[in-house]
Amino acid sequence: MQLPSSLLENAVAQFSKLPGIGKKSALRLVLHLLKQDVNDVQHFGETIARMRRDIKFCQRCNNISDGDICSICANSFRKQNMICVVETIRDVIAIESTQQYNGTYHVLGGIISPLDGIGPDQLNIESLINRIEKEQTEELIFALSPNIQGDTTIYYIQKKITHFNCRVTTIARGIAFGGELEYADEMTLARSLANRLPVQQYVK
Amino acid sequence: MLSLKKISVVQFKNYEQKQWLFNQRITAICGPNGSGKTNLLDAIYYLCFTKSYFSRQDAQIVQQGKSGLRVDAIFDKDEKEHELVCIIRENNRKEFWADGEEYKKFSEHIGKFTCVMIAPDDVELITGNSEERRKFIDTILSQCNADYLHWLIDYNKILQQRNSLLKASAENNRLDESLLDTMDEQLSEKGQLIFTARKQFTEELIPAAIQSYQSIAQKDDGININYDSQLLKNNLLELLQINRQRDLYLQRTGFGIHKDDIEILMNQQSFKTIASQGQRKSLLFALKLAEFEILKKQKGFTPILLLDDVFEKLDAERMHNLLHKVCMEESGQVFITDTHAERMEKQLKAIGAEFQLIEL
Ligand SMILES: Nc1ncnc2c1ncn2[C@@H]1O[C@H](COP(=O)(O)OP(=O)(O)OP(=O)(O)O)[C@@H](O)[C@H]1O
Ligand SMILES: [Mg+2]
Ligand SMILES: [Zn+2]
Repeated sequence: MQLPSSLLENAVAQFSKLPGIGKKSALRLVLHLLKQDVNDVQHFGETIARMRRDIKFCQRCNNISDGDICSICANSFRKQNMICVVETIRDVIAIESTQQYNGTYHVLGGIISPLDGIGPDQLNIESLINRIEKEQTEELIFALSPNIQGDTTIYYIQKKITHFNCRVTTIARGIAFGGELEYADEMTLARSLANRLPVQQYVK
Repeated sequence: MLSLKKISVVQFKNYEQKQWLFNQRITAICGPNGSGKTNLLDAIYYLCFTKSYFSRQDAQIVQQGKSGLRVDAIFDKDEKEHELVCIIRENNRKEFWADGEEYKKFSEHIGKFTCVMIAPDDVELITGNSEERRKFIDTILSQCNADYLHWLIDYNKILQQRNSLLKASAENNRLDESLLDTMDEQLSEKGQLIFTARKQFTEELIPAAIQSYQSIAQKDDGININYDSQLLKNNLLELLQINRQRDLYLQRTGFGIHKDDIEILMNQQSFKTIASQGQRKSLLFALKLAEFEILKKQKGFTPILLLDDVFEKLDAERMHNLLHKVCMEESGQVFITDTHAERMEKQLKAIGAEFQLIEL
């Protein structure tokens, strides 16, 4: 693509680094911004830069947060002794939007998959185990992808906490086989949260 | 009763666009080398399995220089007509439709319309390595038991993960024992299920194969067949734990159902090293006919039989016995190819079969 300005070209290059954005869409977005008021675009850029710079990760659950502790962890109306274990922040958002869950979260940052070079050390597993011990967590709910790696992660963590007095459950697999949590619609997700299964039963 | 009434293909291998109607239980397909006989059988196979018997990649079955293909057919199953359509779009997206509904997963289709292909290269099943024989068993079991395919997919994924873990442990010089324990448990759970299914299945397959061999050869030629698995003596979890050091050293999993085999002996010696070509081919047919019998019993309808170039390498008597068995003793639909129309007609008339002849 031949562009008449290097400023334009740089902007297009930046946009096309985003997931799902090709050169053509990038150009469309940039040309759109070009039509906007200079101040509006300034505001747009600053919002994004500030988001990246100022955002924090909750020291307790690794959720995104404005302060050291996220708004979910800080909310005393939520059941503090219940932890829902998820892979990413996107899963927190998906479950929150069902309005069916009233406990806290723990964001692992992924699932165990040696094939992809991800072992337990790369994930927030140790901090989870410490947290269960310190907070005397009563129930741990796994909401991980329903696949082999998800299973491995659940069993692995379960093995590490057998000596604590913590009930382990997993959300029912109403979610499409092989589908990611993110793609489950809110209804299925809400139903899965209601029908939790103890892990032993789920292992078969 | 399952039968194919009509098939049409667009940009499928050597066919630009072509349609065939079948009006007899037995269809003889004749034509010189390279005329597309095998490709026609493959088109039928393709609709039953959503993939080619011969090519792993769909790209190889799209006509050269073209993009996209279409295969559609009318099948008759228990007096009901079914329309199957497979389309590969120009952007390589593949769609599979049955009676106007598109499948979300191709695996849902497997086992609904069954066929058995016997092709010359299949002697690999006997002369090749153990992977060929596991594939043979797995293909049949997947059609009979919908869970089996999932167990197998899961097993292979866990196996890959376990091997990666073994490798990573060697490279980092550090092992997370409890992660390996977890994977051992996961692997043995699936492995044990697969083992039980294979064991049960081979107890049925082996006698059926030996019996088929006898009806083709009129004797057993001293053949002995056994299911061979490390799990026959020990359960997988124990095997993995006993051999952990060895696995860590070799950085791969040495025990499991991925090492299973079907052992074939002739007078107590390895069949593949001493059997003649005709004997090998007879055994191949016997195994495939056993597959056919089992599918028929499990599915409650007779699979379609696709016989490619079966006339090579069998003596006149074995040929006659085979044809009589598949065309006259069985009641299913048969497609059979040969380069010589006269030879084929003579053979089919000799057994008293009615047939349709298609010349390519
Ligand atoms: N993707 C493709 N595009 C175009 N032509 C193809 C494609 N794949 C295979 N062919 C052609 O199909 C022909 C082979 O057809 P096929 O194997 O069905 O022949 P056949 O009649 O079985 O021959 P034989 O008697 O030798 O077994 C070859 O000429 C080959 O070039
Ligand atoms: Mg051929
Ligand atoms: Zn938090």
